[in-house]
This record gives sequence, structure tokens and C-alpha cells, in this order.
Amino acid sequence: MMLSRLVRPSKSAISQLGTVSVVQGSQLPANSLCVVRCITSGTKAQAPFKEGPERDLVNFPRPKQLINPSPVRLGVFPDSWFTFFYNKTGVTGPYAFGGGLLTYLLSKEIWVLEHEFWGGVSFFIMIIYAVKKFGPQTSAYLEKEIQNDLDEMNAGKINEIEGYTKSIENEKKSQFQAEGQKMLFEVKRENIALQLEAVYRERLMEVYRSVKNRLDYQLEKTNAERNVQQKHMVNWIVSNVKKAITTESEQENIKKCIGDLKALAARA
Amino acid sequence: MAARRIASSAINWTALAERVPEGQKPFFLALKAKSDNYLRRVMANPEVAPKLDFAAYKAKIAVPGLVDSFQKQYEAIKVPYPADKLTPDVNAQEKQAEQDIKAFIAESQTRIQKYQAEIAKWDDILPFEDMTLEDLKDMFPERALDPLNNPTFWPHDAEEQLDYKRPDQPAH
Repeated sequence: MMLSRLVRPSKSAISQLGTVSVVQGSQLPANSLCVVRCITSGTKAQAPFKEGPERDLVNFPRPKQLINPSPVRLGVFPDSWFTFFYNKTGVTGPYAFGGGLLTYLLSKEIWVLEHEFWGGVSFFIMIIYAVKKFGPQTSAYLEKEIQNDLDEMNAGKINEIEGYTKSIENEKKSQFQAEGQKMLFEVKRENIALQLEAVYRERLMEVYRSVKNRLDYQLEKTNAERNVQQKHMVNWIVSNVKKAITTESEQENIKKCIGDLKALAARA
Repeated sequence: MAARRIASSAINWTALAERVPEGQKPFFLALKAKSDNYLRRVMANPEVAPKLDFAAYKAKIAVPGLVDSFQKQYEAIKVPYPADKLTPDVNAQEKQAEQDIKAFIAESQTRIQKYQAEIAKWDDILPFEDMTLEDLKDMFPERALDPLNNPTFWPHDAEEQLDYKRPDQPAH
């Protein structure tokens, strides 16, 4: 699992580690080596873990798996070596020491560069090439596998927490809904009042309608009686008048009419 | 006459609808329909009966004293408001329901506390990615390997053990 981290540490992770190590190194110079080693994971924010009351975290900090390798300078040398020198000799110290040591070893022929060494150099160049060429893909693939592993491990935990959170929400909702029952009784009382009111209004209308019906009946009756009486009176008058007309009076009438007509004609 | 005359519904139905659980929606709709029906029944008739024009009737109706007696009786009549016998029942129901609600909420609170304790339990457990096998044994004794008391074959799952029987295979 750690192979991918060795092959290609991501730049951001390194820069993070670098800054943290400088900060922590300035605070705890004596312990800086350990600090760089101890700075680990923590790309994701996690809930703080509560240690037992007897745990001595100062002297025995909880070991953590290193997610990315310690930062290096010049491609191979651990940054912690340079930090170690920095307090004694400043920035150029480690380089001067390294160069001096190399010069000493070579000039005294303690380190003899025979032909095997140059074979090693070409072999090393090939290794660098292979790492640069295939490192990124391998790293990406292995990162994915690690992430899958982590997800699988945490799935149960996350599910459980989510499930309980949802249950709490549901409980709160059902409490809210249970309190809604109080409104239900308002509705019930109002329904009763509405029905009573409806019945009352119906009764009022019933009284009104029956009185009005009776009055209307009386009115119609009076009207009908009047109609009948009028008709009867007219019939009676007409029949009496007809009875009064005799042949003489009719002829007199006609004569009178002719006389009127003549008078009219003379005037015209 | 009634102590309380009602002319329109004062219920906030939308607020009530929000509080109705999914399973009880049909009941709620039925209640709403009933209530609307009652309201419609109230609205069908005017609040006060319309006035009768006795003067006009008197002018037209010939029978002497008839309209006067009608008017006297009509004005004398008092329509009784129907007695309300059910509100006490509803009040009693409400009291009962309030107790039930209180009990339910108390139960619900204890359940919530239980769930919160279950969530808080994970605060005391180291993140899995930071655990060592010893930590796992401390926190989940039943899931960790126990090679001394209960050694198992790699990869330590049930299928690879000697006493494993496939569920679809009959015992022989």
C-alpha cells in the first residue's frame, strides 16, 4: 500500500508537510526529526479521538501511518538531515559538509570509482526513467485501491451514523406532527359550531319561509277572490244590459245613429 | 341565542396539512371535505332571516287583523339555537390526546438520546485508517483476529475454515 506513496508523492502533500515541518521545527528544534516523521495523514478532517484518561500522549504519541514519504532535497536526501544541520551551520552547512565529505572520500581514494560504479550510474538513470515514465499511472491506480479499501472500511460507520441522524430527524418530525393534533381539536370544535350554526340558520329560514308562504297564500287568495268577483260583476252588468235592449230601443238607436251620421256629413 | 356565532372557518388548513403524517393524508382529506361541506351548509342560508314586508301585505290582504296577528306572532317567535352537546366530549378527547402527545414526545426524546449516544460512540473509536491490529482488538474484540484462542486460516474468513459448510450443500 505504501508503494504508491514512495513512487510519487503528490506535490501539494509535500508542500504541506514542508510548511508544517518548518513551523513545528522552529518550535521544537530538538525534536524536529521526530516531528517530520510524525507528521502524517490528515488529508481529511476527522473527528478528534478521545483517548483514555491514563494515556500519556506527550511521551507516547499515538503512532500514525505515514501517508506520504518524508520530503527530500536533491531528489534523494531527507529534508530532516538538512534541518538537523540548519541549527548548527545555517543553510549552506549540509551542502558544504556533503561536498567536503565526498571530496575527502574521493581524494583519499577511500571511495574508488571503478567501472562498476559507472555501470551503477547508467542503471540508476534507467531506474529514474522508468519511475518518471510509469510512476504516475501506478501511483494513480494504487491510490484508487487504497481509497476503495478506506471506503469499504468506513462504509459501515458512515452508514450507521447517517442512519441514526436520519432517525433523529424522523423522530423530530413525528414530534412536530404529533403536536399538530392540537389543531385537530380546533377543527373538531369548529365543525361542531359550524353544524350548529347551519341548523340554526336553517330553522330561521324555515320560520321565515312558512310565514311567507302563508302570507303569500292569503295574498293570492285575496287576488283570486277579487278576480272572480270582478268577472262576475262584469258578466252580470253585461247580461242585464243585454236584457234591457228591446227591438224598439234598437230601432231608435239606429235612427239616432243615422241622424248623427248625417249631422257629421253636413259638417264635413 | 348562542354564545358563539360562527360565520367563517378560522382554521389554517395549510399549517395543519404540513403536520399530517403521510399515512394519514386520506383521513385528513376526508376531514377537510366534511368541514368544507359544513361550511357550505352554513353559507347556504343568510345569517339573519330576510325581513318580511308586512305593510305591503297589509295593504293587499283583505282579511282584517290577519296580517297583524301574523306579524305579532312572527316577531314573538324565538328560534332556539341548537344545544351543543359534543364540545365537552371533544374537550375530554383533547385532554386525553394531550397526555398521549406528551407521553409520545417523552418517548421520542429518549429514543433521540439513544441515537445520539450511538452517534457519539464513534467519537470514542479511532478512525479505521489510524488503527493498529491491537487497537482493533481493543475496540472490536469480536471482529479482531485471536490467534491464541481461536486460530484461523488465511484469509481468516468463514469460507476458508475447515469446519465451513456451504449452505446449498446437504450435510453428509
